[in-house]
Amino acid sequence: MLDILVCCANGAGTSLMMKMTTEKVIKSLNIKVGKLHHCSLSEGKSAASQFNVVFCPLNFVSMFKDAESKGTTVIGLKNVMSQAEMEEKLKASGIPLE
Amino acid sequence: MLREFVEKKHYLFAEEAADWEEAILMSCRSLEADNTVESNYGRDIVECVKKYGPYIVIMPNVALPHSQEGAVGVNKTAIGFMKLDKPVSFDPDDPEKDARLFFTLASCNPNQHLDNMTRLSEMLMNEELVEELLDASGPEDLLRLQEKYLD
Repeated sequence: MLDILVCCANGAGTSLMMKMTTEKVIKSLNIKVGKLHHCSLSEGKSAASQFNVVFCPLNFVSMFKDAESKGTTVIGLKNVMSQAEMEEKLKASGIPLE
Repeated sequence: MLREFVEKKHYLFAEEAADWEEAILMSCRSLEADNTVESNYGRDIVECVKKYGPYIVIMPNVALPHSQEGAVGVNKTAIGFMKLDKPVSFDPDDPEKDARLFFTLASCNPNQHLDNMTRLSEMLMNEELVEELLDASGPEDLLRLQEKYLD
């Protein structure tokens, strides 16, 4: 069971698009998901450590160092609409998807 | 969604913009024309991008200028479309952050916004449609692509 956070600067545009890509990936890889939450960076920074995976645009990865040190997998995306990129990076992260 | 751009006159076709800041301001014009957003909104988006970087370029060629939900000066929930013939650069070191298609987001109603974003995401996941949008030159092309791919 994975808890996933998708996060962008404002939580209203890019993160929503990422959430829809995530939903497609979840379906195609048949991942069991607990929570799927989207939010802004300011909210995400403090909430991130409560999630197994954080997706964000590539340039925001460094904002999640704290959560990363606590075991959260942080995945930066170049193209947030790309299902292929998200699947590839999720698999490469080695996180169990069951 | 493409038909909606035409019906609401929320579109602009232009040759080029001087830089990304001008492109964002231009992309807000059609939304300003019917008071969907007020003139501060474009400036606010520019400030957002200066603060956070060009994250609004969500995929090659495509930018989604926006600030936050319930932003000041946003009176209606809608998306404005703009197409530039020449790409504008958001990051001189990263050509994948060049944009020619702009979908400018205005939101004051979360449910309606979510509905708009769902439709926008379906559209942007259709690579052929995006390719053809890059060649569109006027509202008649938007209507044609709406019929071809979305109706």
